[in-house]
Amino acid sequence: MTRLISLLAFVVVAVAGTPAFAQQSGGLRVEFQGPGGHSYGSYGRVSALHAAARAVILIQKALPSGSYQITNLTGGNSVNAIASDGLIELKLTAGSATAYQALVTAVTKAATEGAAAENAFRGVKTGDLTSGAPATIRSSVTQF
Amino acid sequence: MTRPHNESALVATATILLTTIVVGASQQAPPSPPAGTPATIPAAIVAAAEKIANDPQVTALIKAQSTDAAAKARWNQFLELVRIPSPPRYEHLKAAEIHRRLVNDWGFSPEEVMTRAAGVIAGSDTNLVDGLPVYNACVVIKGSYAGRADAQQYMGQFPKVLVEGHIDVVNPEELPKSGDPSIRIKLQPYAQPVVATPEELAAIPDELSFDARGRVVEDDKYATASKVFADAKEAEAGGGVRIYVPGYGDMMPSTSNAFVLAAAMKRHHIKPVYDIWVCGTAGEEGKGNLAGVKQLYGFDQKAGTGSNPLNIVANFGLEGGGIVNFVGSYRFEMKFKAPFARPNGPSAPAAMAAAIAKIAEVKTPTDLQDGAPKTTYTVGRASCEPPQAPGMGVPSCTLEVDMRSTRKETLDVIRRAIEPTFQAGVSAENARHGRKDGSDEGIRLELMWYGLRPAFVADSVDNAAVHAGLQAGIQLGAISSPMVGTGSGSLNDNVPAHTGVPTYQFSLASSAAGAGGHAFWEWGTRGAPATEVSRMHRVLTAALIVAGFHTADGTVVQPSVGPNGKRTREVVR
Repeated sequence: MTRLISLLAFVVVAVAGTPAFAQQSGGLRVEFQGPGGHSYGSYGRVSALHAAARAVILIQKALPSGSYQITNLTGGNSVNAIASDGLIELKLTAGSATAYQALVTAVTKAATEGAAAENAFRGVKTGDLTSGAPATIRSSVTQF
Repeated sequence: MTRPHNESALVATATILLTTIVVGASQQAPPSPPAGTPATIPAAIVAAAEKIANDPQVTALIKAQSTDAAAKARWNQFLELVRIPSPPRYEHLKAAEIHRRLVNDWGFSPEEVMTRAAGVIAGSDTNLVDGLPVYNACVVIKGSYAGRADAQQYMGQFPKVLVEGHIDVVNPEELPKSGDPSIRIKLQPYAQPVVATPEELAAIPDELSFDARGRVVEDDKYATASKVFADAKEAEAGGGVRIYVPGYGDMMPSTSNAFVLAAAMKRHHIKPVYDIWVCGTAGEEGKGNLAGVKQLYGFDQKAGTGSNPLNIVANFGLEGGGIVNFVGSYRFEMKFKAPFARPNGPSAPAAMAAAIAKIAEVKTPTDLQDGAPKTTYTVGRASCEPPQAPGMGVPSCTLEVDMRSTRKETLDVIRRAIEPTFQAGVSAENARHGRKDGSDEGIRLELMWYGLRPAFVADSVDNAAVHAGLQAGIQLGAISSPMVGTGSGSLNDNVPAHTGVPTYQFSLASSAAGAGGHAFWEWGTRGAPATEVSRMHRVLTAALIVAGFHTADGTVVQPSVGPNGKRTREVVR
């Protein structure tokens, strides 16, 4: 109960400390798409989940503490399959619309760089195909 | 039980390889392995193969399967079964349809169906795997052996030969919560590029149709999908289509044809000496943990032993391979728990991301050196619980990781590299928020599930299953020499091989082309029906060599293996 009261107090203080008219918040979906494949037979292909995790680390480095909250990290469809999809969901909070847009830009950059790092680790580049399918991880960011 | 060959030498070899990796890549890679190892096939097996392959009952079965009508029936059956979703550990819909067809369509009595809807096999001591029922679908071709005065048995079980292919498929990862669960089978001309996203796949307009009974509708789309080609080039030139459906390549065409073969054996009164079980097995994929064969072979994961409670004397897998060595794997499901799920405290998804990001940087011997034992890993699936209220944090996230290697030594190396990253991710996230590991507000780690595929390295290529599989192929012209590949596979066969039961693999499928296995874009194009028939001939011949066979001239080809199956643990009932 003590912890719950502390938590509620923190929320009240946090909300009271920021002028409501200036604050902007919203959600972002950061999606990663790759070829997937058999975990053993297709080993060496890029992983959408690896890219997503790399992006999370970059987001942590790029965004100020307290400006974001990761509310979901998901992807893949089987323990023995390379993940063809990855998803990060975040809540962003900024003091102004301009600052908010800067956060979105930073997340988008982190997503791109996370995908690029994964592609580079496995030595694939845009336009490469694997069994006819695009070989790289692609990222996209949408607001909700 | 067959023990790994020359273990000390193997350890030494692995050590040398790993040492080489550590000291640098300047040293030369080891020489390429030989193409194969020849088996020494006894003369009795050669004679049995010739006798069985040419037996009038067998050739009548093969002739009947060679008609256009039979080819169409096999094709339609495959299309009708492959559309039934069958995620690992949730195969009950497909198993139920196979059970239904066994009795209603394929000529078996209920007593010949050896599996039950509840996931139980009478006689197995392992009817739960990972706490869940096992949805195998098995039928027996009764042999004559039990009627012998001198018949031997193990705990009430007469010897039997198993022919199996798995019925579970990686995708979809779970059954739909409501509505028609059937998978849509999409058709795409070769002129178009392979789909890049699930959305592109869903947007393909052409698909096969099925009636209310689940039978494929033979319309113009069906006609297009049913065209037969030799390869992708011919399909592209001849108006072929990619047929997108999970399980096309892995491995429903082969499993479906196993039941075609079983029904044909029944129809043609094929009489073996030992019983032959034909099974669609559960749990080969994903978190299935080889549940189907663990039930059949009584494999205890904690003990690492198999009781072989059904007294199986030889195993034939239908996923292809023709190998005797089997890749081991460790699989982990880890939970990252946030005790208080605060939005500004240590975060479960961030901890999991930290672990994944560390894993993503791991290089295996395969990445570092040509010729090293193939060693792989993947972060297969990740998921998080949603926050319980707006403004709260994520309560927990779960991560599934697969590690594999052809050698236990290198498998353990990759395990030692990856397993610590789970806690390292937790520690990094706790430290980022100034929390100590184990503190009240810190992220905690919990092992949810551990999967094991036992590795196996054969000390010899010579055993009853290999001999029968090879000689049946030589007799029928499918292969020209008794060579056994030196490669390793990760198959249901891991369990019987580890238990000491001889095993060999081939396929009953025929595809002109295909790709995308284990991915959302799995597809195939129909191959020559004659290939399926020749493969059925080989599998039937091999199974009868081992099981023994009452030939049309009244003579009996005796089983090529004794009546007591190998095991590494005694049954406890």
